[in-house]
Amino acid sequence: MQLDTKQRLTELSIKELLARQQLDTKPQVVERLAVADDVRELLPDSGLVRGRIVRCSGDAGLSLALSLCSLATQQGSWLGVVGVEHLGLLAAVEHGVALERTVLVHPPKTSREWSITVAAAIEGLDLLIVAVPERLSVNDARRVQTRLQSRRAVMIIVENTMLSQSRSMHGSSEAQQFLADVVLDTKTKSWSGVDRGTGYLQHRDVRIRVSGRRVTRERNYLVTRSC
Amino acid sequence: MPAPKRLAVLRCLDWSAVVAAKNSTTPCAVIHAQRVISRTPAAMRYGVQVGMRRRHAQALCPDIEIVAHQPSRDRTAFDAVVRVVNELVPLIEVSEPGLIVFAARGPSRYMGGDGPMALKIVEALKTSVADSHLAASLVGVAVGVGIADSRLAAQIAAHASAFASSSANLFSPYVVEPDKTNEWLAPQSVRVLSEFASINRETISLLERLGLNTLRDVCALSESILAGRFGELGVELHRLSRGDEQYPLAVVPHPPEHLCIEKFDEPVSDQQIIINSVQRMAVAFTEYYSVHGSVCVRIVISFESEAGKRSERLWYRPHGLTTSAIIENAKWQLEAWLASQISSQISSDISGYPENHALENHALENRSLENRSLENRSLENHGLVRVQLIADEVRTDTARQLRLWGGSTQTDETATQAIGRLSELLGSSAVQVAKWQGGRDILDSYQLVSATHAQTIGNANSHEQIPAQKWRGALPNPSPSVVYSEPIQVQINDQFGKLLSVSARHELSASPVSVIIGSTHYKVNSWAGPWPVEERWWDLARSRRLVRLQLVCEKITVDSVSQILAMLAILEHGEWTVAAIYS
Repeated sequence: MQLDTKQRLTELSIKELLARQQLDTKPQVVERLAVADDVRELLPDSGLVRGRIVRCSGDAGLSLALSLCSLATQQGSWLGVVGVEHLGLLAAVEHGVALERTVLVHPPKTSREWSITVAAAIEGLDLLIVAVPERLSVNDARRVQTRLQSRRAVMIIVENTMLSQSRSMHGSSEAQQFLADVVLDTKTKSWSGVDRGTGYLQHRDVRIRVSGRRVTRERNYLVTRSC
Repeated sequence: MPAPKRLAVLRCLDWSAVVAAKNSTTPCAVIHAQRVISRTPAAMRYGVQVGMRRRHAQALCPDIEIVAHQPSRDRTAFDAVVRVVNELVPLIEVSEPGLIVFAARGPSRYMGGDGPMALKIVEALKTSVADSHLAASLVGVAVGVGIADSRLAAQIAAHASAFASSSANLFSPYVVEPDKTNEWLAPQSVRVLSEFASINRETISLLERLGLNTLRDVCALSESILAGRFGELGVELHRLSRGDEQYPLAVVPHPPEHLCIEKFDEPVSDQQIIINSVQRMAVAFTEYYSVHGSVCVRIVISFESEAGKRSERLWYRPHGLTTSAIIENAKWQLEAWLASQISSQISSDISGYPENHALENHALENRSLENRSLENRSLENHGLVRVQLIADEVRTDTARQLRLWGGSTQTDETATQAIGRLSELLGSSAVQVAKWQGGRDILDSYQLVSATHAQTIGNANSHEQIPAQKWRGALPNPSPSVVYSEPIQVQINDQFGKLLSVSARHELSASPVSVIIGSTHYKVNSWAGPWPVEERWWDLARSRRLVRLQLVCEKITVDSVSQILAMLAILEHGEWTVAAIYS
């Protein structure tokens, strides 16, 4: 179904169109990108559904986002990392991300230029990991979301870790320009492997809370991740 | 070119640093990715060398001025020099800011010899610098001219000439006798290959360890032996050491006119339209050559305005020009031409204004080239009527080259197009891909290179290496997902509030208890280390001694929620910094 991206779609008409879509396609063929086994159960559709937004928040957010993208990049999809400062490339490789199909983009932080950049990236890249600038306007966010749906790409929103500033509580108080379909909120409970000077960082226990528009029932998972 | 050619190279030493420095006496270093890429002579006297880490440079010279690398600033400032040389020599090649290459035969004959030509050019430069009130730092720039038969020899000669001129304070060009280039090159150390011919530094150090210290030694080996050991790189090494060009030239018939000339019926002022037509031509151009199994390494881009003025410049890339490289070069040329047209227009309108507007460009240095291209700048009264691409040198396309992306599937093609579009929007330095480099520092193992300059992608081998070969002395898995290119200063204290230190026997002075970053306090739960790292003790410029520590910290927020943070801290030159976070 064709969405004219130049038209301004209001929330109401999006719902209309989605309802119409559900009526048209009888078998529930939901096109999705495969994800690795260890994160598959976290997602409500057992995969990254095309056209949807996933938010990975919390202090294990970036590594979770990399885990989500790994299998898709191995199978041929291209990944664009937009606006994420200081990405550890070795970590990406360890998660299984195919770096030969990964591009890092550093867009300007102004609302309009950021949305233009992300829209251009959506044109050719299936998967995006983005960090949303604070000043993104609601209109620009909506434009990006519409483009995402029409081009059937997947966007994963992460946060840029700020050390010296005080970190706000997850989710509620921040301005959320994008309405995420799935929100994976992570919280590291403990790290294992190190003691008083001996060992090295090996595993951590992470509590992941799954919520969002597409999630009918909020769930909590306690996962041991090796990264 | 059928006749043996003479190349002249004009080199401004340490251009990046000289442009960035406030004046010619302060030591200044330009930093990119934590390493010094250029430093002023004043900094050199303190022992700062290219390739050194930033902290090492600061340790050697505490007053050193550290400036971030900004290619657009270097380029804009260099345009002033280019304009002066362009008036004397019609066709020049600007490969990078600070380096101008041109054919020497014609101008030399016109100006009465190699030496007199070089002297005349440098005289013109000095007068224009004095006239135009350029920044004080540029007055002291060391300029050298080298003339020889091959590009490598001319570059070495230019470097030597610049060095001699700066120390003797009197300019003298370095002319290598025609046909004597071979003998002249022979005693040069193989390091010149990495300095001037962009051969990988690791390969050169390997050559030295194999006992090949001078170019003569490399020549003494037969080409087939080098090819057997290094592959195609070996053939290039041999060619360079002989004094030949880096690649064998291919003879390919010129592409048909309609592919490389675009004439506009109406003079075009809109920059975007011109760039679009250059893009069309560049795509067809590279297609034509790749169909003939070759790739263009040197190209002339020519613009002609309705007033009859022409702008012609050579562009060179040793491994071949890709479509995006051609487009980017065309943009630079157009911008430079625009600036010169506008400045000359202003100067003709208002009398008494200095001809050279490099000072204005200096003031504009905050606005990057990319920002300017996002706006729509129009050329008034200087509409273009003709754009032409002329291939100057063509080489055979070998498997190591040049298709920017493997481009095998439809997904790859669309991705490539999107990346090209992004590079155009944001500039080539804002769109990057990862290149495997190796190293025990987490920052070093993958290097980010601009997507348009990436030579080969889809090299599955290079990425498979990683799990198999673990770098000795590297951090154990898992690697941190947030790696800071500029490490963050941090205080690690023991239970008495004293700063933690590490003894010569690599033992911590006490147990770490608290970590302070900015104004945030963290409590240390557990830690691992200290792990000492010592790198390149034999290389004074690049040696490093540091200690790594993994820390698991906890912070209690105002809502009495605890946040766990795992980080990698580094102690180097007596300071603790956070290098990475396990996010």
